[in-house]
Amino acid sequence: MQSNKLRSYIYGMKKSIPVFFGFLPVAITFALMAVGQGMSAVETVCMSVFVFAGASQIMAVGMLGTGAGALSIVLATFVLNLRHVIMSTCIFRKIKIKNALLKLLGGMSVTDEGFALITTEDDGKCDVFFMLGIITVTYLSWVLGTVVGVVASNVLPKIVADSFGIALYALFIALIVPDVKGNFKLFLTVVITAIINTVLCVFMESSWAIIISTLVGAAIGTFIVNDGNENTETEVAA
Amino acid sequence: MNIALLIFGMALVTYIPRVIPAFVVDKIRFGKRLGKFINLIPYTAMTALIVPGIFNMDAKHWYVGAIGGAVAILLSCIKKIPSAVVVLASVLAVMVVYLF
Repeated sequence: MQSNKLRSYIYGMKKSIPVFFGFLPVAITFALMAVGQGMSAVETVCMSVFVFAGASQIMAVGMLGTGAGALSIVLATFVLNLRHVIMSTCIFRKIKIKNALLKLLGGMSVTDEGFALITTEDDGKCDVFFMLGIITVTYLSWVLGTVVGVVASNVLPKIVADSFGIALYALFIALIVPDVKGNFKLFLTVVITAIINTVLCVFMESSWAIIISTLVGAAIGTFIVNDGNENTETEVAA
Repeated sequence: MNIALLIFGMALVTYIPRVIPAFVVDKIRFGKRLGKFINLIPYTAMTALIVPGIFNMDAKHWYVGAIGGAVAILLSCIKKIPSAVVVLASVLAVMVVYLF
């Protein structure tokens, strides 16, 4: 039994390795900007330790640069992270946790990347230890990446750092393509969502656009993707 | 500006939306349609995170992200290739684009 838990934990860590490559450049970008805005090394690392949200932190530092107040930055962070309510619902519906302490800890798995890894994993391999493995690697990648950024931001060639900007997109692609490939109706849902989001991004902040197109795309998808099967879970995941 | 206070506020509004569903989700009954809706969200959310953002990965040249994305899609179509390899190949492709 014990070894099963350990195996699951290590499997979660293994699955999160791509996130390390994705987080590193983002963390370095954040660290560069933060130090450039006059934040100390300790403040910069502390923000990554306590907030653990890449896009929000980069936005916050950018707003600091424009002279924005703390309240407006916190409000913007809240809006930017609202999508995590949806993602968290998916995660905790897939991984049932009884223990309240583990639930509190499980909240740390809710990043775009953790969500992507957990929701695309086979149900059989997806338990709380798998989740803890993901948290371990994603969180450490983010914090260590920030430390690397603070210390070595001037050493890394710009072209290398820039190239890693594709990493998280590539990870999301690698996670959805295998399921979408053989399923035309799911493919159609994905294309419709992409179009909706692209159009919405013209009219509003992308953080709102992402929330709306995720929900609208999935709602439209319920009419497209087959309903013939009793078990929709396997239909979509297969 | 008190940075410690800012970090505290940001940590709060980031963590709370992430953790609340953990305590609420057991209490909601998911009907068939709602279950299907929730099962589709990973795909639509990830799509929304990819498009159109990937084309702005390089602020000046949309094709940089497009090429990296195309490489990722092609490799993902081949079974048995781990996602870490897909990610690194895509990064490498972008690096090659930048070199030329």
